[in-house]
Amino acid sequence: MINSQIFPYLLALSAFLFTVGATGVLVRRNPLVVFMCIELMLNAANVALVAFGRFLNSEEGQIFAFMVIVVAAAEVVVGLALITQVFRLGRELDVDELSELSEETDLVTQQ
Amino acid sequence: MTVLLGAAMVLAAIAGLGVVLSRQTIYSALSLVATIVMISVIFLLLNAQFLFAVQIIIYAGAVMVLFVFIIALLSPDAEDRPALDVRSVIGLIAIVAITVVVFVTARNGITFSGNTFRGQAIGSASNPYHAFSYPVDAVNASGNVQNTAGQLFTTFLLPFEITSLLLLVAVIGAVYLTRRGAQSR
Repeated sequence: MINSQIFPYLLALSAFLFTVGATGVLVRRNPLVVFMCIELMLNAANVALVAFGRFLNSEEGQIFAFMVIVVAAAEVVVGLALITQVFRLGRELDVDELSELSEETDLVTQQ
Repeated sequence: MTVLLGAAMVLAAIAGLGVVLSRQTIYSALSLVATIVMISVIFLLLNAQFLFAVQIIIYAGAVMVLFVFIIALLSPDAEDRPALDVRSVIGLIAIVAITVVVFVTARNGITFSGNTFRGQAIGSASNPYHAFSYPVDAVNASGNVQNTAGQLFTTFLLPFEITSLLLLVAVIGAVYLTRRGAQSR
């Protein structure tokens, strides 16, 4: 069976995937890729939840991971609907260009 | 089994990097599919058979098909690779630092208000004061799906019902956002 020595590595994998996802959200400009990176972060949280549940002999980690999957599905539905609407408005798919809701002094033109 | 788990973890990390580093959006999506499949393998090896199936069906089946459909619909251009400037270097240092800190903390332990948490101790000892303690043998005897469903429909019934409400809100929101009359101008 699974050696319990691997538990710290599972937590490290979870932290790694979460940080990669957070970096992607900050670095990438395509909103679709940004959403995929959010999915990556949610999956990283799921890995940590299931690992804790497995090594604490508890089922609750899996229940919480299930809830996280439901939340991720709902988030994708609304987010992709928003992206489609932005595309319908004829805008470029670039999160740096979408600054209609910001104030007059937007950061993009200042640079 | 442990070797298989380690291989799945390495592949998940590599594919996760591919999500961020790919220039083409469709390659990012395919890397995310690979990550999700590898994470589902990790779930299976960690005795979460129900989540294994849910991960494959919901994520790789539904969510990623939706993503690929939207990518095919919008056909976004390839993005320039982000230049290796100060922000990227800080991001890379953050990735490495956070991973190392979590690994060292989980391995060597952290003392917090008198209690020492240690990943290996958690791994080797079960939790005696835990109300829903499920040893692996018991889970294998009665079945993971049965246990999960039992918990889901008794202890966590209210959160489960709230998730159904959340899905309803998401469906209504998606229909509202994409309705045809929204752009009639």
